[in-house]
Amino acid sequence: MKRNNVRIAVQKDGRLRASSLKFLESLGLAIKKVDERALVAQCSNENVEILYVRHSDIPKYVLNGVADFAILGANVLYENSLELKKIKTLDFGQCSLKIAVPKESPIKNIIDLNGERIATSYPNSLCKFLQSQKIHASIIEINGSVEVTPSLGLADAICDLTQTGNTLKANGLRSIHTIFDSVALFVESPFEDSLKKKFIEKFLESK
Amino acid sequence: MKKIQPTILKGTRDFLPKEMMKRNKVMEILKSTFEGFGYSPIETPIISPAETILGKYGEEGDRLTYSFKDRGDRSIALPYDLTVPFARFFATNYQDLPLPFKRYQIQRVWRAEKPQQGRLREFYQCDIDIIGSKSLICEAEIVKMIVTSFEKLGLKNIVVKTNSRRLMNAVLTSFGVPKEKTMDAIRIIDKILKIGEGVAISELEKIGINDPKKIIELLKPEDTNKNTLKKLSAYDTSELEEFLTYSTLLGVQEKNIQIDPMLARGLDYYTGLTFEVISPDWESGTICGGGRYDNLCGLFSDKDFSGVGVAFGFERIMLLLEKLNLFQDIKAPSQVLVTIFDKDSVKDALSTYKILIEAGVPTEIYFESEKLAKQFKFADKKQIPFVLIRGENERKNDEITVKRMENGTQKTIPLTQLVSYLQNYYEAK
Repeated sequence: MKRNNVRIAVQKDGRLRASSLKFLESLGLAIKKVDERALVAQCSNENVEILYVRHSDIPKYVLNGVADFAILGANVLYENSLELKKIKTLDFGQCSLKIAVPKESPIKNIIDLNGERIATSYPNSLCKFLQSQKIHASIIEINGSVEVTPSLGLADAICDLTQTGNTLKANGLRSIHTIFDSVALFVESPFEDSLKKKFIEKFLESK
Repeated sequence: MKKIQPTILKGTRDFLPKEMMKRNKVMEILKSTFEGFGYSPIETPIISPAETILGKYGEEGDRLTYSFKDRGDRSIALPYDLTVPFARFFATNYQDLPLPFKRYQIQRVWRAEKPQQGRLREFYQCDIDIIGSKSLICEAEIVKMIVTSFEKLGLKNIVVKTNSRRLMNAVLTSFGVPKEKTMDAIRIIDKILKIGEGVAISELEKIGINDPKKIIELLKPEDTNKNTLKKLSAYDTSELEEFLTYSTLLGVQEKNIQIDPMLARGLDYYTGLTFEVISPDWESGTICGGGRYDNLCGLFSDKDFSGVGVAFGFERIMLLLEKLNLFQDIKAPSQVLVTIFDKDSVKDALSTYKILIEAGVPTEIYFESEKLAKQFKFADKKQIPFVLIRGENERKNDEITVKRMENGTQKTIPLTQLVSYLQNYYEAK
C-alpha cells in the first residue's frame, strides 16, 4: 500500500535524540509527546511521523524507503560505506573517531600499530583507515565498552568515538590519532516521492 | 635407464601455481556473475564422434580440428570451439531442459594451428547463451551481464558495440546491393577499421557496389547513440531502440554501449543484433563478442531454436588484466605456516595446526624440525604472510608468537586469542 505521510527516522536512545527532536521542532513540526519506549510519534500540525530506531539501523530504514528522511551521524554512513543524499549538515552530534592506547604503551604513532590488536565497534571505518595507511593489524570487533579491552588484555589499542575525551582519560588511555570528525546530518532516501519533495520545499528550502 | 625428455607440445602450457591462481580467480568472478544472472553451468565431452565436430567450420576449420582414430577404429575429434558442442548438447537434451535455457560453459578447446604469438593449440573458451526466446530482453540482459562481468574484473571502461544485422541488410538493399552480394559487402565493411576506408571502398566497388562512399558515410557511428539512430531514421531502427530501452532500464550506461552500424562480426549465422566488446586499454582486438542466431541446432535437429550468445575471450582477458596489473591481490592459498621449533615441539605444533585448520584459517605446517631460518625461507618462497613460533618461553606462558613475513614484525599473544587474532587480521580475511 502506498504511504500517504512523510516519515523521519531519528535516534531512539543516545546523544542525538534530544538535539534531533529540537531541530525538527525548529522547522515548525509539532511532535506529539510520547513515552520514551514508543517507536513512533505523530505530528499534530503535519502529516509527518517520527520513527525512533537504533542509530546503526537508521540507514536500513532510509535505504528501504520505509523512512523518507533521517538524522544520523556522518560516522554511521562512513562505517557502512553508504552515500545517502545529504540535505543539511546540522550543528550538533560533533564527535571524533580516534585511535587510543594505554598511557604507558610503547605505541607512539599509527605506524606502531602494525601487528597489534585493535578493539573497535567500527570495524569497517578502522579497516578502511588502516588500508589507506598500509598498516596491517588485527581488528577485534566489540559492541560496547571498547575502552576497557586494553586493561583486560584483549587489545593493544582501541578505535572509538569520543566527544570530550573524558572516557579515554578515565580509562588511562591517550589518543594517538583522529581518523575523522563526525557531525549529525539530515539525509533523504534515494527514492523519488512527491510528498518527500513537498516536505523539502516547505520546511527546508524556504528556511 | 634413459630418461624421457619432459617436454610438452608446442602451443600447450603448464600453469604454475601463481598463474593458475590468477586464472582461477578470473574464472570464479565470471562464474559467479553468470550464476548471479541465473545461468547454469554445463560441460560437454572432450572426445566426440568426428562427424559431430567436422564439417561445421568450413575447410579451414576442418583442417584445424584435432581428430584421430581410437582403438575401435572410430573417428574421434576434439572440440574446435564451444558453439558446435553446445548445439549438439542442446539438440540431445532440449526436452529435459527448462526453456528458455541459459547456460555458461568454460572449457578447453583445441586447434591444430601452427603455434605463434597469441595462437595456441590448447586454450580456454568461455561461452554464455540464452536459447529458446526471441525477446530483446535477452540481448539487454546479456549486455548488462557483460558490463557487470568486466566491472567485477576491474575493467570499467569497456564498450559494447552493437548493431542490427536486419538494419544492415535493409541499408544495403536500399542502395541496390543484390542479395547474393550482401554477405560479401558486410564482410568488407566489418573489417573497415583494419583495412582503412579507402581500401574498403575500392573493394566494395570491385564486387560491383555503387556508391560505397555514401553507404559508409551513412553507417558511420555518430557521437551519441541517439544521433546514430537519427541519421538512420529512414530505416526501421525499432529493434535497436527497444534493445536500448531495455538495457537502459537495466542500468547499462551510455558510455558502455555504442551503436555501430558498421559492426557485422564476419560470421554468417547471426540474424539479429550483434555485439563486440572493446577496451580502451587493449588495441589487439575484441575481448568478447556474439549475437542473435536463429538456427543453432539446424545441423542436429529439425527444430529451430532462436538464441543469443556471446563468447568471452578468456585468454585475451587474462593478458589484458596482466597488462593493467590487476592481479595484485592474489593471495597464496595458505595464510599461516606453523613452524616446528625443535624435535620436542612436534606434538605442540600439531595441536596448534589442528586448532587453525579446524577453525578454517588457511594454514599449513612445516614437516621437519629444521632450523627456523629454513622454515621462514619456505614461507617466503610460498608467500605465506604469517609464521607461528612457539618456543619454550611461549609454551611456559601459554603464548604464541606471530611473525609477519612482509616486514619481520613479531607479536606475542595468548594462545587462546590466536584464531581471533589471525581471522581479524584484515589481510587474512
